[in-house]
Amino acid sequence: MSALLHIQNVSKTFDLPGGQALTAVDDVSFAVEKGSICVLLGPSGSGKSTLLRMIAGLETQSSGAVLLNDTPIEGPGRERGMVFQAYSSFDWLSVGKNVEFGMKINGVPKPERRARAERFIGLVGLSKFIDAYPSRLSGGMRQRVAIARTLANAPDVLLMDEPFGALDAETRWQMQELMIEVAEASGTTMIIVTHDIEEAIFLADKIVFLSSHPGRLKEEILPTFKPGRLRNKEDVIALPGYAEMERKIMRMMREEGHK
Amino acid sequence: MSTASKGRKARLLQVRVPVSGRQALISALGVWIAFFGIWILASGLGWVNPILVPPPGKVFATIVRLFAEQGFGADVLISIGRVLIAFALASLVAVPLGVAMGAFPAINAVFAPFVSAWRYLPAPSFIPILLMWFGTGETPKLALLFLGVIFFLVTLIADHTREIRKELIETALTLGANRRVTVFQVMLPAVLPNILVAMRQMLAVVWTYLVIAEIVASTTGIGAMMMRARRFLKTDEILAGIIVIGALGMACDMAFALLHRRLFPYLEDKR
Repeated sequence: MSALLHIQNVSKTFDLPGGQALTAVDDVSFAVEKGSICVLLGPSGSGKSTLLRMIAGLETQSSGAVLLNDTPIEGPGRERGMVFQAYSSFDWLSVGKNVEFGMKINGVPKPERRARAERFIGLVGLSKFIDAYPSRLSGGMRQRVAIARTLANAPDVLLMDEPFGALDAETRWQMQELMIEVAEASGTTMIIVTHDIEEAIFLADKIVFLSSHPGRLKEEILPTFKPGRLRNKEDVIALPGYAEMERKIMRMMREEGHK
Repeated sequence: MSTASKGRKARLLQVRVPVSGRQALISALGVWIAFFGIWILASGLGWVNPILVPPPGKVFATIVRLFAEQGFGADVLISIGRVLIAFALASLVAVPLGVAMGAFPAINAVFAPFVSAWRYLPAPSFIPILLMWFGTGETPKLALLFLGVIFFLVTLIADHTREIRKELIETALTLGANRRVTVFQVMLPAVLPNILVAMRQMLAVVWTYLVIAEIVASTTGIGAMMMRARRFLKTDEILAGIIVIGALGMACDMAFALLHRRLFPYLEDKR
């Protein structure tokens, strides 16, 4: 069986000023199944964001390959849409036009564009704000716009780099639950970078745990205690097996921190 | 909120506490009234030589007389024309070049060393050579105004373009934008409000060079009128010229502020 995305022996070395080299990602391999949510988890310095940026094509790997549908990726492209932690709305466009942007530049006809934009804006719960400018929205609402904008562009995989890291705690778990809803409704494959253990266990079909300095694949963790995807976070926390997995990952985090 | 502020002693100076609209108006009017009050007193009580410092009433009467009887309107129009033509030419070069330098490091590498060297040369130092090259017509004046702002305008616009947040550009790329779309549909609209701010700042500088050009080498325009007035000790006309230039500069500034609000309504919501 062939997965949607293969990361094959990917390494990334940065040249530091002074002639030294820093290995951020070291020989990482894993696969992401179509329609699944894969979470890249690890302490700071584990190269998880760098890895995601290489999958997006925004950085080039020093060695190894990223294959999408068995084809090596070269540079960024619409089939790998990305949502960033920092605010990325196009301020000069309304919410509706923001979401239409990707479709517009890719030649989707106007009526279809509008219809898809409305659908995804509805999915993230912003229908009332379709004609508003993003500057009127809160941080969480702006991230919803970014998510709708990326999904409406029909990527093969949605990449998210700590998408909820800048949000307050309440908004953060609302967004996490929204992502489960979105994944169920759209069937989109997702790769999400986080350092939040709760978030990782709640969202992931598979957790790829990376060690730090250099970033290496430490373990692929499957939260098999979950009976599929649950929409309420408290239901996941209440499951037998949750506490044990959280404890295990916290220990792994601590070990990495002491290195 | 109100009880808390009542409880506290009212203080005049508070760090970064905003003032009311009423207080702002009173403060602004107060300082102008004081300015003219001192001026009226100084000339009325004979503290100053009335030939060197005419009273404000006389200056304003002179402004009216200049426009009504002495064809000053034509001078003003000539000056405005010079400013607008030179500034339009400078913007026509600076906007595309600045954005290109900010967007493409390869273009920046070519022009940045050149532009920054010219920035350190005071434009008025070119007046003698400009007069020799272009004679005494409009060309040397326009050239001086153009040289006075072009290099600053290019640098400011390039800097603003470079400051566009990386996430905006990378979002566009991962939505499938090519180079043309990234520059024209993301970077340009993102930087446009700041381009207008840079133009507003530089337009004030054009007015400065205008007066220099008209004082040094012109028989027409507001500056030339002021130099003529000096010959006949007409200080009221000199001061009238200064006031008219100030009013025109302020009008330009307000026009730009209005244009900014009109063109970029989405920035209003941030407040």
